[in-house]
Amino acid sequence: MLKMQDVSKVYRTDLIETYALRNFSLEVSAGEFVAVTGPSGSGKTTFLNVAGLLESFESGSYVLDGSDVRELSDDARSRLRNERIGFIFQSFNLIPDLNVQDNVDVPLRYRRLSSADRRERINSALELVGLASRMKHMPSQLSGGQQQRVAIARAIAGDPAFLLADEPTGNLDSLMARQVMDLLEQINELGTTILLVTHDPELARRAQRNIHLVDGQISDFRSYEPRVPSADAAGSALA
Amino acid sequence: MFGYYARLALKSFRRNLGLTTLMVLAVALGIAVCIMTLTVYHAMSGNPIWWKNDRLYAVTMDSWDPNQQYNRTGPSAPPPQMTYRDATYLLNSSIPERKVKMYTVDGVISAAGPAPQRISTRLTTADFFAMFDVPFLYGAGWPAAADSPPQPSIVLTREMNEKLFGGVNSVGRTLRWNDHEFRIVGVLNDWFPRPRFFDLNGGSFQRPDDAYIPFAWGPELQLQSSGNTDCWKPEKVDTTEEFLGSDCIWLQVWVELPDAAARERMQTFMDAYWAEQHRAGRFERPRDNRLTNVAQWLRVQQVVDNDNRVLVGLAFAFLAVCLINTVGLLLAKFLNAAPITGVRRALGASRRQIFVQHLVEVAMVSALGALLGLLLAILGLAAVHHMYSAAHLGRPGGYQELTHFDAVGVLWAIVLAIAATLAAGLYPAWRVGRLPPAAYLKSQ
Amino acid sequence: MSLNVRPILSALLRNRTGAVLVAMQIAIALAVLVNALYIVMQRIEKVGRPTGIDVPNIFVVSSAGFTDRYHLVPSIEEDLAYLRGVPGVIASSTANAIPLSGGGSGQTLVTEPGKHSSDSMNYFEVNEQGLDALGLHLVAGRNFRHDEIEPPITKTDASRFVAQIIVSRALGERMFGQQSPLGKRVYDNIGQAATIIGVVDPVMGSWPMNEHPDWVFFAPRVASTLYGGAVNYLVRTQPGQRDTAMRLVEAHLTKINPNRVINFVRPLTYFKDLTDLGDRSMGIYLLTVTGLLIAVTCLGIFALATFNVATRTKQIGTRRAVGARRRDIVRYFLVENGLITSAGIIAGCLLALATGYWLSEQYALPRLNLYYLVGGVLALWGIGQFAAWQPARRAAAVSPSVATRTV
Repeated sequence: MLKMQDVSKVYRTDLIETYALRNFSLEVSAGEFVAVTGPSGSGKTTFLNVAGLLESFESGSYVLDGSDVRELSDDARSRLRNERIGFIFQSFNLIPDLNVQDNVDVPLRYRRLSSADRRERINSALELVGLASRMKHMPSQLSGGQQQRVAIARAIAGDPAFLLADEPTGNLDSLMARQVMDLLEQINELGTTILLVTHDPELARRAQRNIHLVDGQISDFRSYEPRVPSADAAGSALA
Repeated sequence: MFGYYARLALKSFRRNLGLTTLMVLAVALGIAVCIMTLTVYHAMSGNPIWWKNDRLYAVTMDSWDPNQQYNRTGPSAPPPQMTYRDATYLLNSSIPERKVKMYTVDGVISAAGPAPQRISTRLTTADFFAMFDVPFLYGAGWPAAADSPPQPSIVLTREMNEKLFGGVNSVGRTLRWNDHEFRIVGVLNDWFPRPRFFDLNGGSFQRPDDAYIPFAWGPELQLQSSGNTDCWKPEKVDTTEEFLGSDCIWLQVWVELPDAAARERMQTFMDAYWAEQHRAGRFERPRDNRLTNVAQWLRVQQVVDNDNRVLVGLAFAFLAVCLINTVGLLLAKFLNAAPITGVRRALGASRRQIFVQHLVEVAMVSALGALLGLLLAILGLAAVHHMYSAAHLGRPGGYQELTHFDAVGVLWAIVLAIAATLAAGLYPAWRVGRLPPAAYLKSQ
Repeated sequence: MSLNVRPILSALLRNRTGAVLVAMQIAIALAVLVNALYIVMQRIEKVGRPTGIDVPNIFVVSSAGFTDRYHLVPSIEEDLAYLRGVPGVIASSTANAIPLSGGGSGQTLVTEPGKHSSDSMNYFEVNEQGLDALGLHLVAGRNFRHDEIEPPITKTDASRFVAQIIVSRALGERMFGQQSPLGKRVYDNIGQAATIIGVVDPVMGSWPMNEHPDWVFFAPRVASTLYGGAVNYLVRTQPGQRDTAMRLVEAHLTKINPNRVINFVRPLTYFKDLTDLGDRSMGIYLLTVTGLLIAVTCLGIFALATFNVATRTKQIGTRRAVGARRRDIVRYFLVENGLITSAGIIAGCLLALATGYWLSEQYALPRLNLYYLVGGVLALWGIGQFAAWQPARRAAAVSPSVATRTV
C-alpha cells in the first residue's frame, strides 16, 4: 500500500548539496510491521517526513494507498495525512492546554464527523490503550508512558491505514517502553500497517522486516518471523 | 467547527493573558479615537437636508469692493449675504418655486411666560417653512399674503412654547414681541439642523432661532440684524432708508428651483439684473452671480474647519499604529506556538484549516477590541460633550452638538473597526498556515 | 569589547518582519509627536497672548430695552450711577461690544480722506471710565474727559464719527509706522476726522483668533442700541469682589426698570474661555492622542522584546555558556533594539518633515521648526531603548545551563 521508488531528497544551500535520501525505494504491503534503522544523520527522519507527507522530495515517485503523492494539492495531502496516516513522536507532542479527550479529538476535528461519532472513536481508542479513565486529565498530570499511550490513541482514533512511529520509546524507561511496543504489536495484529523508525536494534527486532539506512540509502534489510502473540502482550496493554 | 476554533482561541487567550490584553486594548484605543473623531467629522460635514440638495440654492452676487475681494484667502467669491435692494429685486422673480430673504434680530418677549426674556428671532418671508421642510407641532406658518403688509403673526419653537405656555397648543394666543402684539400661528416640532446651513452667522452649529415673524417687520420697525452686517462702500448711511438702499450686505437669500431648466432661467435672470445695475454704476467687480446647492455651500463656507481635518488624520495615524502593533503581537504569538501548529498539521490539518483557526482568533480579538473601543468612544464623546456644554453654560449650540451618536455612524464605525482588525490579522494568520510542519516537530 | 554590530544586523535582517513592524510604529510616532507638539505650542502661545485686560475681575451686564417707555440715555445714566456705587467696583462703562467675545464692530481708518484701505479696525464705544473698566494702561497721551463723551448714534445719524479716539500701539504703528500717533488725525471712509489723543498697550479686541486682534481703537460715545438692540455694561471690581458684586447687580438691575430685560450678567472669563475653547480642546485632544500613541508604541516594543527574549533563551544560554557576560547580553539586545529604533527614526524624520510641509501648505500653518524634530528624535530614541531595557535585563538573567537542556 506504500510504494516509494527512487526517491531522492536534497537539501541545497549556496555552497553545498546534501542528499538526505538517495534513490530510495521501498514497498510496504498492508498489515506489515516494518522497522527502519540507522545511525543519526542516516536519513531516517527525512524518510519519515517524506513518508508522512510532511516534506516534499526532488525525484522519484511515491504512491500511497493508490494515490500518487506528487499530484496532490496541500489540501489533498492534508486529508490523506489525516485519514490514512497516524503519527507517533518521540516527544509525544501532546498539546499541553488540552485534556486527554481533546488531544485524541484533534485529528478527528479536521474531518466531517458528527460529535457522537467522534466521541465513540475517542472512547474506543482510549479503551484500547487503557486510559479511558483519564479522559479529563491534562498531559502534565500523566507519566511519560501514559502520555505516549494517549498519543497512540490519538494516532489510531481515526482508523488510519498505517502508523508512522518515530522513536516512540526514546523518552521512556524500559518498563514503559515495553508496554508501548506491546501496544504497537497489538495494533498491528488488528490489521494496521506500522512503520517504525528507531536506532535501537532491540526494538527493530520486534518488527517483521528491517530496513537499515546509511547516508540516505538502504544498506541492509532482513526479515523476521511474524511475532507469535503471547499472554504477556494482552496483560501489559492494560497497565 | 467555528465553536471548536473559538474554544481554542479562548485557551490561547488564557495562556497569553498579558499579550492578549495588550492587543485588545491597543485595538480598542485605536478604534475609540477613530470613532470619536469620525463622529464629530461626520456631524460637521453632514448635509442636514440632503434629500433636497438639488432643489435648494443659496443666492449670492459679488457686489463687493472692486479693490478688494470679500474673502481673505482663496479665489474671489461673492459675499455670503446680499444687500436689501438686490434681495428684494430677486425675490420678485416668479422663476423659483419658493424663495426667502431673511435675517435674525434679538427681540424681547413679554406678556407671556414668567418674565420678559430676550430671544433670537428670524425675520423671514413665508416660504421658509415649506422650503426647508420645517416640521410643525401645532398650526402652520403664515400665508404669503401675510408678508405684505406684514401681519403680526409669530411662529414659536417647541422649546419656546414650553417655556412660555407649558407646551400646550398656543395657536391663536397672543404675546408681545418688543412690546408689539403678535398672534401665534404655529409651533414647530423638534428641529435642529446641523449645521445651520441656511444661516452660518455666529458659527455653523448655532441652534435654530426661538421665533419667526414676517420679514417686512424688519424695515417697518427698523430692526437691525444680530448677524453680520458688512459694508465696503464709502457712503453716508445715517437713516434706515439710507441703510436699506446701501451696499451693505446683511440678508440671506435662498431659492427652491425644481429642475435644471429653472436653474438656468434663474441664472439668466440674475445676470440680466447684474447687467442693468452694472450699467448704472453698481457691481464694479467681475461678474460672479452664483446659485450654490447646500452641499457645495457647506464646502465653500468651510464648515468643516482645518483643525477637524488634522484630527481625522491623527486618528487614522493612531489607528495605524495600533493595528501594526497588533499585527506584530499576533505574529509573535502565532509563531511562538509553531510547534503545536506543526503537530496539528502532522495530524492532518490543511493550511486553510490552520489559517481559518487563527483567523477566528483574530476575529475574536477584533470583536472584543471593537466592543471595548465603542464603549470608550461613548465615554469619550460624553466627556467632550460635557466639556463643551459646560463652557456654554448648558445652552445648546456649538461644538457639543456634534458629539451625538447616530445609528448609521455607529454601524459604520463597528464595521470599520472589525474590518480593519481582521485585515491586520490576515497576514499573521496566513503566515502561520504556511509554516512547514516538519521543521517545527520535535523529531530526532 | 566592540559592539559587533554586523552579526546582530545580519541576524536581524534574516528575521525582519517583527523589526519592520516596530520600526513603522516608531516612524509614525515620531511624525505625530513632532507635528502635534508643534501645533500645541502654537495654540498655547495664541491663548496665552497678553490681552492687557484685567479679565478675572470684570463682568458684563447686558440690558435690552423693549418698550417705547424705555429711554436709552436716562436708563444708562441710572444704571451707571448704581453700578459705580456697588461695593468693590472700580469702574464701569457702557460698551457697544464685549472684548474677547468673538462679537464686535470694525471700520476702516485712513490717514488721508478718500484713501483706500482694506484693514478693518476693531472699535469700542466707551465712556471716560472705559479704559479703567478694562484695566488698560495708557502708554501715551490721555484718557477721555467726561465732556468729550458724545451721545449715542441714532436712526438718523448712524454714520456720525467721533472727534477724538484712543488707539492701540499696534494700530498706531500700522497707520503711522514709527512716528507717534498722538495728535494725528485719522479719517473714516466718508472723510470724517478724529484726533488721536491717547495710546494703550497691550490690548486685545473682539476677535483674538484674527491675524491682528490688537488693531483696536476706542471711541468716546455712549453705546447705542442700534446694532444688536442691547447695551453692554463693563464692570471692573477689586480682586475677589467680582462674584458678590455680580449677584448684587443682577438682583437690583432686573427690578428697577420694567421696560428692559437684563439679558445676562456674566464674567468676562466666560467669553474668553469660550473663545479659547477651540484651541484648548484641540491642544488637549492632540496631547492625549499623541500620548496614547507613544504609550502603545512603547508597550509594543516592550512586548515584542520580551517575546524575542523568551524564544531565544537557548541561544542566550549558549552565548553565556561560551563566555558572554551579563553585560554582553544586555548590550546585544539593546544594540538590536537600537538598530530597529534608528531605522524607525530615520523613516520617521522623513515622514515628520513631509507631514509638516503638507500641513503648512494645506492648512496655512507655519512651517515646522527643526528644533522640534531634533527633540522628537531624542525623545523617541530614549523611549525606544527604555522600552527594551527590562526585557534585555531579563535576557541577561538567563542561566547558561539552558544551553545543555534538550527539552
